[in-house]
This record gives sequence, C-alpha cells and structure tokens, in this order.
Amino acid sequence: MNSSNVSSRTVITLIVVGVLLIAGGFIISQATPLIFPVEASAESTQIDQLFRVALLIGGAIFLLVQGVLIYSVWRFRARPGDTTDGPPIHGSTTLEIVWTAIPAVIVMVLTILSYQVWSSIQSVKEDEQLVQVTGARFNWAFTYSTPDPRDAAAELTFKSTELHIYLGRPVLLKMQTQDVIHSFWVPALRMKQDLLPGRTTEYRFTPVAVEGETYPARYPVKCAELCGAAHGEMIAWVVVHETEADYAAWFDQEVDKVLNPPADPVLRGESILASQVYPCHTCHVLSTDTLQWDGKVGPALNGVADRAATSRANATGLAAADYLYQSIHEPGAYLVPGYSNLMPQLGIPECEAWSIVAYLCTLSDSGAPTCTVELPAQCQAAGAPPVEATAEATEAPAEAAAEATPASS
Amino acid sequence: MASISVPIGSVPGQSAPRPRLRVSDYLRWSVDHKIIGVQYMVTAAFFFIVGGTLAMLIRLELLTPNLDVVQTGSQYNTLFSVHGLVMIFLWIIPMMAGFGNYLVPLMLGAKDMAFPWLNAFAFWLIPPAGILMVGSMLVGAPEAGWTQYPPLSTLFSGDGQTLAALSVHLLGISSILGAINFLVTVKNMRPPGMSYWQMPLFVWAIVATSIIVVMATPFLAGALTLLILDRVGGTTFFDATKGGDVLLWQNVFWFYSHPAVYIMVLPGMGILSDVLSVHSRKPIFGYKMIALSSMAIGIVGFTVWAHHMFTSLQPELRIPFMITSMIIAVPTGIKIFSWLGTLWRGKIRFTSAMLFSLGFLSMFVIGGITGVMLAMIPFNLHVHDTYFVVAHLHFVLFGGSVFAIYSGVYHWFPKITGRMLDERLGRLHFALTYIGFFFTFFPMHFAGMLGMPRRVAVYMPEYQGLNATASFGSFLLGISTFLLLYNVIASLRSGRLAGANPWRALTLEWATTSPPPATNFVGDPVLFEDPYGYGTEGASDYLDAIERRFGAPSQPVVVDKPASPAAQGASGD
Repeated sequence: MNSSNVSSRTVITLIVVGVLLIAGGFIISQATPLIFPVEASAESTQIDQLFRVALLIGGAIFLLVQGVLIYSVWRFRARPGDTTDGPPIHGSTTLEIVWTAIPAVIVMVLTILSYQVWSSIQSVKEDEQLVQVTGARFNWAFTYSTPDPRDAAAELTFKSTELHIYLGRPVLLKMQTQDVIHSFWVPALRMKQDLLPGRTTEYRFTPVAVEGETYPARYPVKCAELCGAAHGEMIAWVVVHETEADYAAWFDQEVDKVLNPPADPVLRGESILASQVYPCHTCHVLSTDTLQWDGKVGPALNGVADRAATSRANATGLAAADYLYQSIHEPGAYLVPGYSNLMPQLGIPECEAWSIVAYLCTLSDSGAPTCTVELPAQCQAAGAPPVEATAEATEAPAEAAAEATPASS
Repeated sequence: MASISVPIGSVPGQSAPRPRLRVSDYLRWSVDHKIIGVQYMVTAAFFFIVGGTLAMLIRLELLTPNLDVVQTGSQYNTLFSVHGLVMIFLWIIPMMAGFGNYLVPLMLGAKDMAFPWLNAFAFWLIPPAGILMVGSMLVGAPEAGWTQYPPLSTLFSGDGQTLAALSVHLLGISSILGAINFLVTVKNMRPPGMSYWQMPLFVWAIVATSIIVVMATPFLAGALTLLILDRVGGTTFFDATKGGDVLLWQNVFWFYSHPAVYIMVLPGMGILSDVLSVHSRKPIFGYKMIALSSMAIGIVGFTVWAHHMFTSLQPELRIPFMITSMIIAVPTGIKIFSWLGTLWRGKIRFTSAMLFSLGFLSMFVIGGITGVMLAMIPFNLHVHDTYFVVAHLHFVLFGGSVFAIYSGVYHWFPKITGRMLDERLGRLHFALTYIGFFFTFFPMHFAGMLGMPRRVAVYMPEYQGLNATASFGSFLLGISTFLLLYNVIASLRSGRLAGANPWRALTLEWATTSPPPATNFVGDPVLFEDPYGYGTEGASDYLDAIERRFGAPSQPVVVDKPASPAAQGASGD
C-alpha cells in the first residue's frame, strides 16, 4: 500500500521533471538564429536542424545535471554543528544501468542523424559548377575555365579573387594549396575543408536564397587552419548572384578581360598585380599611385628596376628583365641579402609573368624604365584582338551564357 | 583481506616528531617521493604562471579587433603556441604527476615509489625542458600552434620550433618514466589486505593514466623525431613536394594527443572522486563503475584520434571515428552521474576543496556536451578550428583539470605541509575563479559559431563584444590565481595546524602525521577495509583512533591568531 503510493508519486515526479527538462532543452534549442550566421546554403539548413536536435538534448542534460547539483548542495548541505556522516549507500545497479543505457541510446540517435545529414551534404549533385580554389599565404584565388571562343579545343581560364556563384546551382570546389595547409571556411555555408599540400580536396554546396537578403550577397571566406603570420587576414568573399543572367554578366566581363587585355605589357602587368590574383601584395611593399602594398616579409619593390639593372645584374650576371623573370619563377635561385627563401612557386603563366616584369622594369626612382620587355608572340596574339574572336566571344563567352537562354524567362 | 578496523587507538600514543620542511631539501636531488612530488608541483605551478602570463597577453591583444599589443602576427602566433605547450606539458601533466608522486605511495601504505632513483630522474628532466621551452620564444617564433602541423612547423616556423619540439621530447621521456614507475608501484606495493578493488579511486585513475602514457607517448616521440629531422636533418617526411605527407603528422600526433586529453583529465577525475566522497561524508556511488569507466575511457580513447581531422581526413574514413567518439561519452556520463549520486543524501561540507570539485562537475558537463556536439561530423565541419573548439577544450582542461588541481591543492595541502589553507580566502578564490572562468570561456562558443576562427590576432569587429567579455573574464581569472598563491605562502608560515586527518578521510595517506615522516608511516600502516566506507560505526571508530594516535587539528579559533609557533607545540594529542 504505502510503497505503491510512494512509487506512484515518484513516477509522477519523474514525468514532471522529464517534461520540464525537455521543454527547457527545446527553449534553449530555439536560440540558434542568434548564434549562427545566415543559412546561405541548402547544407546549412540541414546542419542547423541537426544542431537544434543536439542542443535540445544537450540543453536537457545540462539542466538535469545543474539542477540535480544545485538541488543536492542546497538540500543535503551539512547543517551547522552536524558532524555525522551520510548514509552508507554504495550504489544502485538499477540506476547505474539506467544512466549507462540512456546516454548510449542518445549518442546512437545522434550518430545516425549525423550520418544521414553527412551523406546528404557530401553526395554528388547534378550539374555542378566547377571552380578551382587555390590557397596561398595569405590569400585565396578562384579559377574559372570555359571553352576558348577562339579555339574550341582549348580551355580559357581566368582567376578571380572572389568566388562568384548564383542561387540554386550546385557548386563543386576543387582545392589546392601552394604552401602550407589552409582551410576553406564559409561560416554562412557551415562547412570547411582543409587544403592539403600534395592533394586536391573537394567542397560541395548549393547556394539558396536568404530571406531579406539583397543580391548579389557577399559572405566571407575565412582560413580556418593556422597558416602563419597573417592567418587572420586571409579572407576572401563569396558573391552570390540572384539569377544566372547576373552571374553570366560578370562572367562575360571577366572573359572579355582575358580576350582583350591591354596591348601594352606594362599596363597588362600592372592590372594583373592590381587584381591581386597572385598574393604578391601579402609579402612585398609597393607604394605607387594605384598600388598600396604593405607586406612585411619580402623585399620592397619600389626602385626594384634600378637594383635589377645594377647590383642584382652584377650579382647574377643576368640582364635586368631576365633577373626579374627568374625572381618570379625561381624565387630561390638568387636571394636578396637579408631575406630567406620563403616565396612560393606561384605558377604564374609565362605571358603574365613577362607582363609583370615589364611593369616592374618601370619601378625606378626616376620613373624611366630600366629595361623593356617584348612579349613572346603567343602573348601578343591574345593581346591584339582579332575581329572574329570578339564575335565568338559575344556568341559563346561561357558555358553559362549558353545555358542562360533556356533557363531565364 | 580482513584488515583491522578499530584497535589502533591501543597503540601507545606518541606520534613521531613532526618533520621540519626545509626549503633547501627541495632544491637538490632527492629520491624521497614526497620531496619529488612537491618539486613537481612547485615547478608546474611556476610554469602555470608563465603560461598564464602568455594567456593574459593573448587576451589583451584580443580586446580589440586590430593588432596592437604585439607587433606582428608571428609574435601573436608564438604567444598562443607556447601558451598551449606550456599549459599542457609543463603545467597540467607534471602537476598531476606531482599529485601522483606524493599520494600514490601514501595511499598504498608504501614507503616510497618502486623506483626512487628513476622517479627523481624523471623529475629532473623537467627543468631543462622548461628552459628550452621558454628559450624557444627568444630564438625565433615557434608559430605553428601546440599542434605543430607541418609544413608550417617544418618549412616556415622559426628556430624556436626546434627547441620547443626538443623540450616536448624530454617531457615525454619524463612522463613515460613516471608512468612505468606508477604501474610497478601499484602492482607490487599495495599493502596486505588491499585488493585492486580497495584502492582509492585516485590510484585507479593514475593506473589508467599511466597505461595511456606508456602506450601513447612513444608515438609522440616518434612524430617529434620526424619533425626535428625535417627541420634540421634535411629529411622530407612531411614535405608533399618531395614525397612526404602532411597527414602522417596529424595521424600520429593525434594518436598521442587525443589520449593525452585523458592523461590530463583522468587524474583530475580521481581527485574529484576522493574529494566528493570525503566532503559529502558518503561512500562514493558506484565505485566499480567509476574505476572501470576510467579504464574504458583509456582504451576507447585510443580509437577516436581522427575526430580532430574531420576537415582533413579522407571523407570515407570520418564515420568510424564519429562512432567511437560518441561511444566515449558513455563512460564519461557514468562518472558524472555517479558523482551526483555521491552527493545525493550526503552531508555536504562547503570546504574550498569541495567547492572546486562541485565547480568541476558543473563546468565539465558543458565540456562534455560540446564534446558530443563536436563528434557530430556535420556540425564539426562548421565549428572545427574555431573559438567553439577553444571554448570546449578549456571547459575540459580548465573547468576540468585545473579545477580538480585546485580542489586537490586545498584537500591535500594540510597533508603535505601540516597546515591548513585559509578557508575564507579559499572560498573567495573559488568565487573569482568560477565567475572569471565562465565569462572567459562561455562567450567563445558564440564567437566560434558566429564565424571567428581560432588562432587569429585580428578579427572582424562584430566579434569584439564577445572578445572583450572573454578578456575581462580572463583578467579576473588572472587575479584569482594570486589569491591562491598568497594563501599558500601565508598558510605555510602561519596556517592553522592540520593534525593528521583534518577532513576525517578514510584513505591511508591520512593515517600518518602531516607531513608524513621520511618513511611515511611509523610501523605498519593500519588500513580501513573500505576507502569510502563513510557512515558506518566502524569508520567512525577508525577515524577517532587515527585522531588519538596522530593528533587532531587545532581548533578554528586559533586560525586568526598570529601566535602559531606557540600552537605548534600544542600539536599531538
């Protein structure tokens, strides 16, 4: 009789406490919009949903442990003058089984849910847009490629410092690093993946519309793996266009820059450096009307044309332009006194490298070039826009433009 | 088996003269485990202050989003790299070794460790390692974090990286030698009548820890050897452009460094099991489950390493590590619930030692919950290498290990020195630590989830509120440390006399004078059959007998009187 009374009261207490804990956990789990950036990808919605389940359970466990703890220290505090001991209870097999089994079930459920979300977010999507990502201390570069309008068999590639994509089109990033490990993280996409020397790693996501966002929307890309002195400054931007047409407009413009570069190699070189697709600015100092670099690692570039023509030419036996070209392609071949061999192989294509050299030749104290560069013939070809190439460019500047026609209204 | 539980009172009652502690004894080579234990603890405490100073500089830098306290990013990287290495390898691990050294032989009723000379040798590897570590900051930035990932650590970091690696190498050797010593001591030197199932849970924790150290630390040594060779020997183990592999380091490093988390936290859990039982005057709840869960954590801990690599490991390998990482939550949960069961219906005394153990319980559970969240791969992809992880690891290693160390200091200081620490200062120390800790590390969860990576000196201005809160919390934490330091120094000179057993605890280290004589026990130690048998008449009689035999603590009234030298004479019975 009495014992059945007690046990029914215990059962009611347990039910009430259980309901309160779950309700508390639920309330805690609803705080997620405050502690997350916007959900800018299909994956981020799934991950946040999973996290809310974990937060509900974690919140309930937190309230349970803190609740029991606070209740115990208040209820079972030794009263003044009480020097006796508590009852000699050594354990309870039932309780011990319960608190082994329940956590086991909880982690099993969380594992299964996580597995489902994980399989979904890393599955291959249809019609993925491929972009190559390159990480180098301390910047990001995004390489797009498209069939070359002048030669259907060839690829036309260009680099951007921003990742341009558009809503609804799944994206596949293939990522490589040129020096140390970096980690590609976009908080608004909720995912990161390391870039590992010697490997190509992948990152998949599908950008989705965010309520109240103005497009094109910009989300920061951050490096999440310690990569050196300016690790915290290794930031780029994802630019999400609202429609495929908006994206194609940007894309065509970039393709046009490749097809119709300035004919003057000096101007070409300057525009390449100004675009920051190569991370020169992160290490070198250069102060001109258009460029303001404040790197702290490598030699300053102001006056480099004078030095290339005098002391460096003497030290290496190379002509000024050849010395500058070597410094870009084999940075370790000759080290400026006082500097160590830190500059990575940047893989700058020959035409671009010679254009940069042409520009560097003009960086003398007097302003007069100390050397000049004749671009090799194949570079000249791209520089002098043939009429037919322009026509093709407007016709099929990119796969994107071609596909835009059926998709857009 | 059947050990005597009552009649020690009948042993003719003059206690051995209280040995005087002289500072000079601690500055030279000694094979006495008690001296070595204190040497470990004082050395570790010194490096805690070094690591803490670095932490203060880090938080000062992070008060604002820009680089202002230090000149370059490399300097900032050096600060947190050395902070991590010092706190892990020169503070928590040696501090726990200090507790182990001092307490294990006493708890087993032994005269010393199994290999006293080896014990001293293991300790004396630490000071040169410490000098190398501090020196690494001066000779060239070791800026690759405590995880020292190549190729940043091999091809870019300054010469300090080599010194830091050598330092950790030495500390690893010290750790292995110490662990072998513990295992042999526990195996061979238990007194007659004490089975494995009658050992204090702190000893169980040291056994589990030592097994991990002996099995895992050689892997760290291997990894460090390759790293040092790559740096100074021209090899290319980790250089992908020359056939090496950067993931090799990550796999081997974490094969040690994940178990190392348990190396740091299991002894703390052992301290907690003892302190909670003694100060709530109730047997530990589920002794066997606590002991076995330590072993389970030790074993499963070897199978979870790659959850630190969810963003670098091949995708198909990630799932098994999620499963094992989830499983390890279960034995951890068993411990937490068993401790709550210990408190339930106890007679809880709010001593400083107890407060820190309660603080451990309430903070560690947060670290446990975020740990399970981190094991979930999809969520991990978002928060890996962010401030969320910084928050998680400090909830485990500060909210866990350091709170346990503080608790242990308040609990065993009377045994080690013969004097009590000031309880009022202790409570203030607890309050400041608890509040400072919470405000330092809790906001970091949000910073991480909102998008702040770890190991950055500059950050986007939107995170400044959270960072400023964390910084002010950490300054409070910094100040609180000096309260303990002051308390220790002041109490050494004029603390209330502790007597043999001020907490009326049943484990063997209390069944001798405080501090114990050179041979630990005069005659054979008399064992009570159950180290946590509180609440029985037998226990009460045993404790009364200990008090009659070795002397009671002086009464609290005496505390504030400066005339302690007089009180000193009044010890004994």
